[in-house]
Amino acid sequence: MSVLSALAEVKERKAPKSRKRRSGATASPPMAASPVGSGPPERLPYLLDLYPLESAAQTRLSPFFEALHQGRFTTTRCRKDGKLLWPPRVVCPVCHTTELEWVDLPATGRIYAFSALLAGAPIGQEADLPRVVGLVELDGVPLRLFGRLLGVDWQACRIGLRVRLEPLALPDGRAYYAFRVTP
Amino acid sequence: MSENREVAVVGGGLTKFGVRPVTWAELAQEAGEVLFRSVPGLEASSVDSLFVGAAEPERFAFQSHVAPLVAEQMGLAPHRIVQRNELACASGQSAIRSAYAAIRAGLSDIAVAVGVEKMNLPSMAEANSAMACVLDRPWDAAHGLTAPPFFAMVAQRHMLEHGTTEEQFAAVSQKNHRFANANPVAQFYDKKFDREKLLRLPLVAPPLRLGDCSAMTDGAGAVVLAAADRVREFTDTPAWIRGTGQYSDFHNLANMESLTDWTGLTRASREAFRSAGIRPTDLDFAELHDCFTISELIEYEAIGLCPKGEGGKFAADGRSDLGGDLVVNPRGGLLGCGHPLGATGIAQAVEVSQQFAHTVDPSRQVPDPEWAMVHNLSGSANVHSVMIYQRGG
Repeated sequence: MSVLSALAEVKERKAPKSRKRRSGATASPPMAASPVGSGPPERLPYLLDLYPLESAAQTRLSPFFEALHQGRFTTTRCRKDGKLLWPPRVVCPVCHTTELEWVDLPATGRIYAFSALLAGAPIGQEADLPRVVGLVELDGVPLRLFGRLLGVDWQACRIGLRVRLEPLALPDGRAYYAFRVTP
Repeated sequence: MSENREVAVVGGGLTKFGVRPVTWAELAQEAGEVLFRSVPGLEASSVDSLFVGAAEPERFAFQSHVAPLVAEQMGLAPHRIVQRNELACASGQSAIRSAYAAIRAGLSDIAVAVGVEKMNLPSMAEANSAMACVLDRPWDAAHGLTAPPFFAMVAQRHMLEHGTTEEQFAAVSQKNHRFANANPVAQFYDKKFDREKLLRLPLVAPPLRLGDCSAMTDGAGAVVLAAADRVREFTDTPAWIRGTGQYSDFHNLANMESLTDWTGLTRASREAFRSAGIRPTDLDFAELHDCFTISELIEYEAIGLCPKGEGGKFAADGRSDLGGDLVVNPRGGLLGCGHPLGATGIAQAVEVSQQFAHTVDPSRQVPDPEWAMVHNLSGSANVHSVMIYQRGG
């Protein structure tokens, strides 16, 4: 199963979920919306939030997701001590200032370590095995990020292979990313 | 109330570990049954405080606020401190540490530390989701990180940097499974694993095979901790807590400086040895957190049992077995006993108590032990918790 077809499972839950959220206190309880045996089981898409938490109404890190939708990979850097921070933050953990700025990250790097999950997948990912994952050293910055590795079987994967960031849009509109092995 | 009162684990017991046809709450009841059977001098009315180690009851049992639930299941009515301790795989030790601190501070005289975890569910994918959320959920777990691929990457780097081999991983698993074959509560008590069989088991996350990974386990246990002036009511061989150390230095994987050099454990164990006033060479045995075979190898190195990079050789040469430099995991470890998250730290303390009392199977009894070390890691080895025990008597 490809990553994108696996991600398409998100669609299965989108419509009933939005109905549930509008149902309000006087409507039927959420369980009533999907009686047992009436359809596909509820699935968590990649352990992401059950409902989007990427907008400015939900998170101060919304610029990260907006940039990712535009194909740019970003994070925050402290204006005072210059420290590049991952994941992006709203307060510097070194000097505790809120004076952070958004900066672009390199979209390329190389594999530092990798493995693959062959069994024991979390909810919604059971059919998405084997799944190759790894730590990627980004070019030119002191950051080693974890992510999915696309375009390579685990048997053929090697430390040192070049990868490029691949921004992905989930069917429900959420931003996601992985790393694709490049020749 | 005297300052700096000494504290000891004075006894405890464990339920059977494994895939159990019981609910979370029933495991807590079983912990009560085995506790009162194992510590005959214990009366429910004398337990003033209760600390419950439980990693993820919200997901495994859809239950929060578990401390009063456990009190009710065990027939306890704590009147000084009642709380839950959550530190993922180290939740059990966290409960013991809090009980220790409470008694030491004079806030408790007799405390019970319990661990309960029910991990085997009709949907194991649900259990795997729970485990994944121990890690940084939106930034690591949502991208496919779970424990096996994390420790597989650690293993891969250790193999690359130090020449460690699959056979050396199997040596750890074989040793711990052999001890578990003499521990009736162990999940794999009646399952034999020789090295050849271990090396043929299916891969879970390459290079790690099934035998390199601890299992999803249902289990519970409880220990009693008492202030020095109450210890003799319960035992002639108290396990005095002489030192502790703990260190937490990152959460997202990007902020882990080295996959293979666990400096957090070096710091936590140094603090524990310093506070106990002993050195690693003074230990008679150690219960180390072998959630994966590679973990035990790196722990030898981080604690200082062998030079960095030589953990694999240390295991393969039998130096962590009975008769070696320091016997590690005579209980059977997480690999042999299973790993019911919140109950694991309790089980290690029960092992210390039983080793000191010479009540374990003779084939895994450490000769006349006086000093023992217990270690748990949690998450992506980002927290290390260490305790040092000395036998009294």
